[in-house]
Amino acid sequence: MTSLRLEHIVKDYDGPGGRQPALRDISLEVADGETLAIVGPSGCGKSTLLKVVAGLEFPTHGRIYYGDLDMTEIKPQDRGVGMVFQDYALYPAMKSKGNLAYYFEHHTYTHEQMEERVRRTAQLMGVDFQHLLGRFPETLSGGEQQRVAIARCIVRDPTIFLMDEPIVNLDAKRREQTRIEIKKLLRTFHVTTLYVTHDQQEAIFMGDRLAVMRAGRIEQVGNFDDLYYTPVNLFVATFIGSPPLNVLPALLREGHLHIAGQSWPLPEELAGRLPSGPLRLGVRAEHWLRDQPDGLPLEISHSERIPTERIALVHGHWLGQRVTVSLSLEEADDSRGLQSLRPDWEQLLYFAVDDERLLYSPGPPALF
Amino acid sequence: MGAASGGIVIEHLIKRFGERTVVDDLNLHIQPGELFVLVGPSGCGKTTTLRLLAGLEPVSDGRIYFGERLVNDIRPRDRNVALVFQDYAIFPHLTVFENIAYGLRARHAPRSLIRERVTNAAHLFRIEHLLGRKPRQLSGGERQRVALARALVRDAALYLYDEPLANLDAQLRHQAREDILTLHRQKGQPAVYVTHDQAEAMALGDRIAVMRDGKLQQVGSGLDLYERPCNQFVAFFIGSPGINLFEVEVRPDERPDHDGRLLLTHPAFRLPVPAEFQERVAPYTGRRLNLGIRPEHLQPPRRADFAVSEDSTVRGLVNVIEPTVSGCTVYLSTLEPAPRDFVATLKARLPGSYLGREVPLAVNLRKIHLFDPEDGRALLHMPAIAADQPARAVVGEPESEQVEQPSRQPATSEASKKREERA
Repeated sequence: MTSLRLEHIVKDYDGPGGRQPALRDISLEVADGETLAIVGPSGCGKSTLLKVVAGLEFPTHGRIYYGDLDMTEIKPQDRGVGMVFQDYALYPAMKSKGNLAYYFEHHTYTHEQMEERVRRTAQLMGVDFQHLLGRFPETLSGGEQQRVAIARCIVRDPTIFLMDEPIVNLDAKRREQTRIEIKKLLRTFHVTTLYVTHDQQEAIFMGDRLAVMRAGRIEQVGNFDDLYYTPVNLFVATFIGSPPLNVLPALLREGHLHIAGQSWPLPEELAGRLPSGPLRLGVRAEHWLRDQPDGLPLEISHSERIPTERIALVHGHWLGQRVTVSLSLEEADDSRGLQSLRPDWEQLLYFAVDDERLLYSPGPPALF
Repeated sequence: MGAASGGIVIEHLIKRFGERTVVDDLNLHIQPGELFVLVGPSGCGKTTTLRLLAGLEPVSDGRIYFGERLVNDIRPRDRNVALVFQDYAIFPHLTVFENIAYGLRARHAPRSLIRERVTNAAHLFRIEHLLGRKPRQLSGGERQRVALARALVRDAALYLYDEPLANLDAQLRHQAREDILTLHRQKGQPAVYVTHDQAEAMALGDRIAVMRDGKLQQVGSGLDLYERPCNQFVAFFIGSPGINLFEVEVRPDERPDHDGRLLLTHPAFRLPVPAEFQERVAPYTGRRLNLGIRPEHLQPPRRADFAVSEDSTVRGLVNVIEPTVSGCTVYLSTLEPAPRDFVATLKARLPGSYLGREVPLAVNLRKIHLFDPEDGRALLHMPAIAADQPARAVVGEPESEQVEQPSRQPATSEASKKREERA
């Protein structure tokens, strides 16, 4: 068990078009026992980052520390990391138990020590894990294979756990169940973990904190509230949150906000915090006010009900812009309020046009 | 062409691969203009059904009609169906324009018509600036729109979608769903859409058919399936997070002054059966049943928006708190020697300090489901009840079509309402 620290990691690849930067100056700290979810679109460098931490790739610059130990030059097999990939990579010719025990057969352990470790791990893996031990990988479902793969890591008592899209190959319902199991295991074993995924919802679920990556850089590190309510830029804002944030171009002039030829006065205090000129408005589905005297109609294209959250999402066009509005199920039955709709100016996220950085956010709403 | 007037009728459809029956006596009537979703876990037979409709596989038994026309022995190209696949199936060596125009050219459409239709379709799916490019220069989302545009230029009798959004990032899916609805509305022809993702099914389908192991489980609107599942499988499959299931026993309350009121007892809790349902649950006294509680029907007692009595709570240990936009999803385990996991979706954010703590959650007893533990059949579920209406329970026979007969039934009112909303 250890913490993890990355200092100014740079990784370049030699490609046909010259040097290609895959990671550009990444610094990170993960506390002992913490799970950091690394999330970003494909090609953002998240898997490369994981390989660098594992030692499967060496960084071009920068240092990697496990606790106080500099691991930068250490070979992967001597780092003691446990890795779980999307394709499970179990030995097909061995039963689950063999897969768990394999490591010990190649290290100096007695048979009894090995048996004991496998037994203890199986016990910790949960009530129904025992019956998997005697089976071959091909007889296991995807979710079960992934549990065996995780157990195989845990049995070795890893210093750090690295997971790369471990449940991406499971279908939606299995994914839902398996991610709970993985999360509970991470809690039980309290292993420092980097968890890579392209799915923001999975990252929110798995991570104690999240790191959002784009094009080899970390854009922001924080918990869900940080990223959702105070995203540093438009990229993070659109990446986190479902349905995705709607972005409306606007112009602020003399305290009035102009959108597509219409204008509204902004509350004075809010206008005072924003620079005059062009802006981008980040409007989340819950940022709309119905039945407003100065509201405008929503042209509804379709709506969907999400009964578990007791909301309905109404998709349509407002002032010619695509928007999504979230309503309670009761409100959704009466669409009249949508005829006079406008954003709740004080809830919105305001971004600059040039570098898309956040200019103003009200922050998380007060809970009580 | 035929299908527009009569829809698609599937009668006693069977498909076997060797010894294995992958589609087992399927009966469906897909309405003209309907977007019909087939949903189920991997291997349930949904994709095979789609391939049978397209004519890509011969049927082992049963009949498929497009309108009045029996198509069993009609070749795929003569069935006039348009397909949109998960891997887009666009030609890598052709430009976007040529890909979209492919079907029209193969049918020797006049050049001016091709140009007009391709341009219109490209405009609708926001790819007009990409018409000269090759597929490898496109992102996944763009390729998917090319596949949709190609389907749009065709005048097919039936549109078939095989997990068309499976390869898209979550952020692109919302837009892509809308694109599919746009295509569907423009064509006004029946469409069958296959997915393993119940959220997608709920968002898109006028009606949804849930399949499992080659067998049809239930057909209905998303809300029908959610509120009145015919069995435990449908109850669990539809809705995310899935319904919580507990094995309970129906027992009379032995305490004095309780008049032998019926209870649902579990090692970790006991819940009273609401007075209006007592009579209906009575025949199950002494039996074991599976109790289903949807995650949103478990709420902190003081914040619940339903009637809470002091004995209608379940206690749990908080394992994970997942923030959501509307509040949070809490993953708990019951307090008993062999703890069971369950889930609650709360309207407010539970602070992180509750992790590892015990909390009581009130159960909305009017929304519970009961299932036969042997065959999973729904024995009791409470339909949506407006506050001012008397409660009404369904026992035994579910209201929605459990296994649809091939007779020409109209779509359920919920589904037609959804279609009207869209029109």
